[in-house]
Amino acid sequence: MSEVMSNGVMSEVMSAEALMPSKKLSARGWMRANLFNRWYNAVLTLILALVIAYLGFRSIRYLFWTAEWEPVRANLTLFMIGSFPRDEQWRVVVQLLLLAAAFGVIWGSMIGASRDRAAQSGSPFSAEPGWVALRRWWGLVLLLGVLLLAAWGILPLVLAFGCIALIFMLRRIAMRLASKVRIYAWFGGYVLLIASWQIVSGTGGSAWFWAAGLLAFWGIRTVRKKDLTPRLPLTLVAIVGGGAVAWAIYTFILNGLINFSGVGWDNWSGFHLNLIAATISIIAAFPLGLILALGRRSSLPAIRWLCVTYIELIRGVPLIGLLFIGNSLLGFFIDNDPFIDFFLDTPLSQISRAIVIMSLFTAAYLAEVIRGGLEATPRGQTEAGQSVGLSPWQITSRIVMPQTLRASIPAIVGQFISLLKDSSLLSIIAVSEILRVRASVHSQGAFTTLGTAETLVFIAFAFWAFAFTWSRESQRLEKHLGVGER
Amino acid sequence: MSTTSRDDLRSSNLNPSSQGFTLWSDARTYRVAGQVIGVALVILLIWRLTNNLFSNLDRLNISRNFDFLTQPTNFAIAENWGFDTSLPRWRMLLIGLQNTILAAGGGIVLATILGTIVGIARLSSNWLVSKISTFYVETLRNIPPLVVIIFFSIAVFSSGPFPVFREATELKLPFSDSNWLILSNSRIGFPSFSAERNISAFWLLFAMTFLFAACMWAWRTVKSSKTGVPHRRVQWSLGVFVVLLVLWFFLLNGPYDWSWPSRTENGRRLASGFGTSAAYLSVTLAIAIYTASHIAEIVRGAILAIHKGQGEAATSLSLSSYQRYRFVILPQAFRRIIPNLINQYLNLTKNTSLAVAVGYAELASLTQTSIGNGAPAPQSILLMMCGYLGLSLIVSLIANVVNRSLRLKDR
Amino acid sequence: MLKNKKLITLLCATFALVLFAVACGSDDSDDASLLEEVQDRDSVRCGVRDALAGFAVLGADGSYSGFDVEFCRVVAAGVLGDANKVEFIPLETADRFTALQSGEVDVLIRNTTWTATRDGQEGANFLFTTFYDGQGFIVPADSGITSLEGLQDATICVAQGTTTELNLNAVFSARGINFTPAFFDTNTALQEAYEGGQCESYTGDASSLATYKFTSERDGGPAQYVIPEVISKEPLGPVVADGDTAWAQAVNWSIMATVQAWEFGLNSGNINSYSGDDPNVLNFLGAIDPSIEGLSTDFAVNVVSQVGNYQQIYARTLEPLGLPMAGSANRLWTDGGLLYTPPYR
Repeated sequence: MSEVMSNGVMSEVMSAEALMPSKKLSARGWMRANLFNRWYNAVLTLILALVIAYLGFRSIRYLFWTAEWEPVRANLTLFMIGSFPRDEQWRVVVQLLLLAAAFGVIWGSMIGASRDRAAQSGSPFSAEPGWVALRRWWGLVLLLGVLLLAAWGILPLVLAFGCIALIFMLRRIAMRLASKVRIYAWFGGYVLLIASWQIVSGTGGSAWFWAAGLLAFWGIRTVRKKDLTPRLPLTLVAIVGGGAVAWAIYTFILNGLINFSGVGWDNWSGFHLNLIAATISIIAAFPLGLILALGRRSSLPAIRWLCVTYIELIRGVPLIGLLFIGNSLLGFFIDNDPFIDFFLDTPLSQISRAIVIMSLFTAAYLAEVIRGGLEATPRGQTEAGQSVGLSPWQITSRIVMPQTLRASIPAIVGQFISLLKDSSLLSIIAVSEILRVRASVHSQGAFTTLGTAETLVFIAFAFWAFAFTWSRESQRLEKHLGVGER
Repeated sequence: MSTTSRDDLRSSNLNPSSQGFTLWSDARTYRVAGQVIGVALVILLIWRLTNNLFSNLDRLNISRNFDFLTQPTNFAIAENWGFDTSLPRWRMLLIGLQNTILAAGGGIVLATILGTIVGIARLSSNWLVSKISTFYVETLRNIPPLVVIIFFSIAVFSSGPFPVFREATELKLPFSDSNWLILSNSRIGFPSFSAERNISAFWLLFAMTFLFAACMWAWRTVKSSKTGVPHRRVQWSLGVFVVLLVLWFFLLNGPYDWSWPSRTENGRRLASGFGTSAAYLSVTLAIAIYTASHIAEIVRGAILAIHKGQGEAATSLSLSSYQRYRFVILPQAFRRIIPNLINQYLNLTKNTSLAVAVGYAELASLTQTSIGNGAPAPQSILLMMCGYLGLSLIVSLIANVVNRSLRLKDR
Repeated sequence: MLKNKKLITLLCATFALVLFAVACGSDDSDDASLLEEVQDRDSVRCGVRDALAGFAVLGADGSYSGFDVEFCRVVAAGVLGDANKVEFIPLETADRFTALQSGEVDVLIRNTTWTATRDGQEGANFLFTTFYDGQGFIVPADSGITSLEGLQDATICVAQGTTTELNLNAVFSARGINFTPAFFDTNTALQEAYEGGQCESYTGDASSLATYKFTSERDGGPAQYVIPEVISKEPLGPVVADGDTAWAQAVNWSIMATVQAWEFGLNSGNINSYSGDDPNVLNFLGAIDPSIEGLSTDFAVNVVSQVGNYQQIYARTLEPLGLPMAGSANRLWTDGGLLYTPPYR
């Protein structure tokens, strides 16, 4: 929450800072104004400059000369994908390419959509050039550079630049699509995202779930196109029916035809797992978070109290405690339950349990985030809906929720960042994410005492690059969506 | 669901007396039924899961009672406050809770101070100062706290690449043989007080002096509101309090004395002074500087959110920049800060549980150890969760009281 | 009318759910052996450590290796005929037994000490001991400490939630040696704290102390000294869940085959070309069928040809880390060691 709130002010400062350079001072004048404007500031500047010079010298000497980077270099693949089977490594490579493609398509479509909106309202629009975005993501670019340096070779270079080229190529194409064709581009992006997941995990297990989502997507779209007012039953029918049809198609037809087995998430590890676990958890937490947020504002006292109790209980305990529960107790809660056994034929694996716990944990925080968004939505909106005779469900789904979610996006991104950081806690329960991999690296025999701090610096840098870039993006989004402005 | 007022409307329209009342046509029925069903489902779920838990525990012959709490602990712990290993486990867990509180308390104090300084520094007119603070915030905020804690433990309080100290260092007082600080990788010694004489008399006088100072406060307040004289109650009561205390201290022939840190002959243990471990400092400092980066953002945000005109008005009254902050900006910013600050304190308290990774004997860590040494996991984890929940409740309770008292002043 | 229907439907749905839940409440646990499940699944789920040099460690190539890991492969070779059909599941010390109880792992080969309490309370069934260890202490050589008494008042790093912790307390308090423990959840954290000087000594299994001393000194670290006194017995071996005899026997005999092969002088190189006529050896190679459920008659051949005999496993995993077999208890009984298997006939 707080992370999110503090983001709100950041945009204001950015604009304040943006005003500064416009004054066009000479270098001397600038230094006078900004470093030596008062005698105490001058003293402070001098002292700090000395301290920084010393620390800078020490860190540069450390980073480039004295540090022992060999453990990182030799185990780079291990840090990134951990115990992922190496003869299946191509899956991760293809996943990267598919993600890059999806990203390019979606990004391009977003630009196209806002260009169309601008054209509609007659305001001028100029797409931001790609290199500006790259400069904004300098944290990630730096991480990529470090990784490429460490894994020096033709293949990684080709892969990295291939991905970047793919992103910009598809972005360019998607940008120029006519608005009628764009819906297919969105759809293509969705398919690419699913494909990037399935290419690793294979078609077993979760494929029908995504297909169901796809069908539900089309179902809802058709309902909307026919200008039928979306109603709760109809939407439910679209989702459940789509799921059932997809499941049937999958089990009875596709499963026999396509036998594309993959590497399930139980075998994912390293930083790959950190990223995936955080992503899955935030997606899985979303429905529950939404229900809890609505429930907390419900006028039904019993429901409200249930939701409040859940949210406050979860927020009152540390994640690590919940992970302990997931690790040593969750099994006891669900083992030998015929109802649950019907759905689960094997005990939940460590990673699955951890993801379940992380989702339940995040749901409570997301609920608070969404509640913030709900409270920011003016009451008049609801009343307007009531005055034209919409049902409560219609008001919530058509009027309140779109505004709420739009307002909550930056905060949800903030939640994702803290979830990514929290995924390092999995190391304490022996899930081999990146921090746990580090323990293995220093037990291999080759690096027992070498570079113990360096591996940690590397891990910190990897987390930082993602968290920093995402937090900047969420600030941008916040400004873009005009959150907090009335 | 957020829009149920429509239901209320309908229920008043369908006035039971006027339109042949049926149970089914009353909206209230649905409200009640919906709630009953919701609660029933949740109870059912909980009942079912607990049932499973109990039957699984019985099947595996794992005890379901809390007898283990009264059995001897049998393993030693650091930061033990005189704990003997033959004492029962509940005593051990209490020590864990105590250590958690110590880490959280230290962390909260440090994080608040550091966070406020950094937050204000980010708005400094000195370019270098604001850039350094920005660098600090943007770096620390985006690194997992667990990584920061481990970094402190292995790279700072160690002989690693960024050692604070390699050998045990004793820092001496000037013109004296006593140390005021002992630093080593395993133990850090601070000065403390040792009780010498007349302790109970001193505390009795302390309590009386406090009461007296409180009366002074009330008297000044009343007088000020009657006559309009500036009350200056802080100066008055604090002055009286301090002067009297010093007086009692000397009259009682020094009830307390400094206990300067010193080491035992083999150098491995503190013979006097207050000692703490590198693990404690790693945890406290790490979570403090991590949380400070968040607090800094809150402070900065609150200051920025105060209308520009306020600062300009202060400047036009020719207040100095210190006065501007002290009397105009900070008092207003403070109220905005509090709710977010509470959140951060809660997070910090919960983050002390990450000490598991560096071996500080706090609640989560001791629970893990206890489970590893034969305590049943379900009960142990339940107790641990209750401990954290209790701490969270206390922190938010205190914070709410502070918050309310601040709000009262706000016309 | 419509509202009526809705409400009735809702009530009916709840009622049905309650009924369903209550009906399902009756537990019927199946007593099928884990053995069949493993065979159906065609892979053995083996609970291991992921960061203990020499015993089980995740290597740079993403695969697990080490002494314990080899025995996981032995079980797979014996039960499934293919040493590669293992799924390694890294476990934390505190929940290793839970993982076994809940069936998340089939067998636990994770440096676990066989004790009476664990046999009794944790629902664990300890099998053939694969490694005889004892708890020792390591100190920097320049500290001049040579005996436990020299550790008076010391801070000692120890692994959290293990027998090591209990032994340390029991022995030191019996001898009146005052100490402060510093406990850590992973071996790596333990060693890092010791290296950083947070404790005067670190205690653990003598084997891990020896490998630490070897690798650390080889990498140019300060000289280390292992105090010769060993304060405990630490028999380490595979563990399975209680009450499943068939599975326990299959695991046990697979593992014992490595020792038996060593005794017969058979190894992965020569077992397939054995041309002698020693009836005991021929029995071992499949001439008789002892009808151990789950094991084929030639399971020993699979085990030894695919993984090797005990000596080979030891030489491959522990000796490169400075842990010689000579002088330890981990030798054949004919050589003065403790490795002794029941006869194969």
